[in-house]
Amino acid sequence: MIVIQVLLICGIVAVFGWLLLNPRSQQVHAWIKILAAAFTTFGVVVIISPGTSDRIAHSVGVGRGADLLLYSIAVSFVYVMVSVYTRNIDEQEKFEKMARAIALLDTRVRELNDLLTETQEQKKKT
Amino acid sequence: MQQDVYVIIPVYNEAPVIGAVVGAVSRVFSNIVCVNDGSYDDSAAEIVKTGAVLINHPFNLGQGAALKTGIDYALQDADAAYFITFDSDGQHQIADAVGMLEVLKEGAYDIVLGSRFLGRADNISLIRASVLKAAVAFSNLTTGVRLTDAHNGLRVFNRRYARQIDITMPGMAHATEFVHAIATGKFKYTELPVTILYTEYSKKKSQSLFNSINIGFDLLMRRISKK
Repeated sequence: MIVIQVLLICGIVAVFGWLLLNPRSQQVHAWIKILAAAFTTFGVVVIISPGTSDRIAHSVGVGRGADLLLYSIAVSFVYVMVSVYTRNIDEQEKFEKMARAIALLDTRVRELNDLLTETQEQKKKT
Repeated sequence: MQQDVYVIIPVYNEAPVIGAVVGAVSRVFSNIVCVNDGSYDDSAAEIVKTGAVLINHPFNLGQGAALKTGIDYALQDADAAYFITFDSDGQHQIADAVGMLEVLKEGAYDIVLGSRFLGRADNISLIRASVLKAAVAFSNLTTGVRLTDAHNGLRVFNRRYARQIDITMPGMAHATEFVHAIATGKFKYTELPVTILYTEYSKKKSQSLFNSINIGFDLLMRRISKK
């Protein structure tokens, strides 16, 4: 097994495991930013000097720098996807709780209103 | 009329049938809570006509969220002891709910679930039956609760279970949360045979089988990320 295969498999497993164990930590969100910065830098290096990125790629067993970038993007994509999904679930839950509170409050107000109208009507009759 | 029983009916665009469904339920039970889950037809107006409690979600949140809202409303009544979840599309039989309630009241169980595979599922397609069986196998495997029908909307449970159940899943995946709560809370449960009427109306309304893929994905992601 070539170096890159080992690295990629370890990367995917580690990213998934770590993310799923700490989906809501500040660290996860910080890492997304660090990853974005690293990719921007690497992207710039690939454009300016394809030779440098190729040399990095060769050192881990990948043919071209562009391929290494693609592999890294694939791992990062999984990372970002799981992270965004988890965050989305949290937001959805908050949203749902708020909507439920509004619905129950609205029902209570209507019930009290009906009661008030009923009492007023009874008063008028007497 | 049984004052300590609450029937919770989640409603989403069921204007053509909801009046008749609530009408049938109201012949047996007086506390009926309809949760209008952001319907854009005349469901709310039809519910008002029946005299049942109407709770309006400000927008569509999904059936699980509607059930949770109904349960929360019913729990506000300290005398509410028994809770029935009942579908709004006319698939369920009130006689089945009554039978399940009687079993629950005997006190041996915390929750009684309806099973179409112990009873009758009229006009069910082979593919729907197969997907539902696969869902049951998945549910049994992941929760350890042995059931024959994991996605049946007809359930009867006591206050202790009602306080415990927390439904957070989107869409139809909430059915598994009912089962999951049984496992985590070590509640006593049983299944009773019920008849599900697959009418032309309910078939048109029922979820696409492709949705089972979404449910499976949601369940997997939630199960892992909630740890």
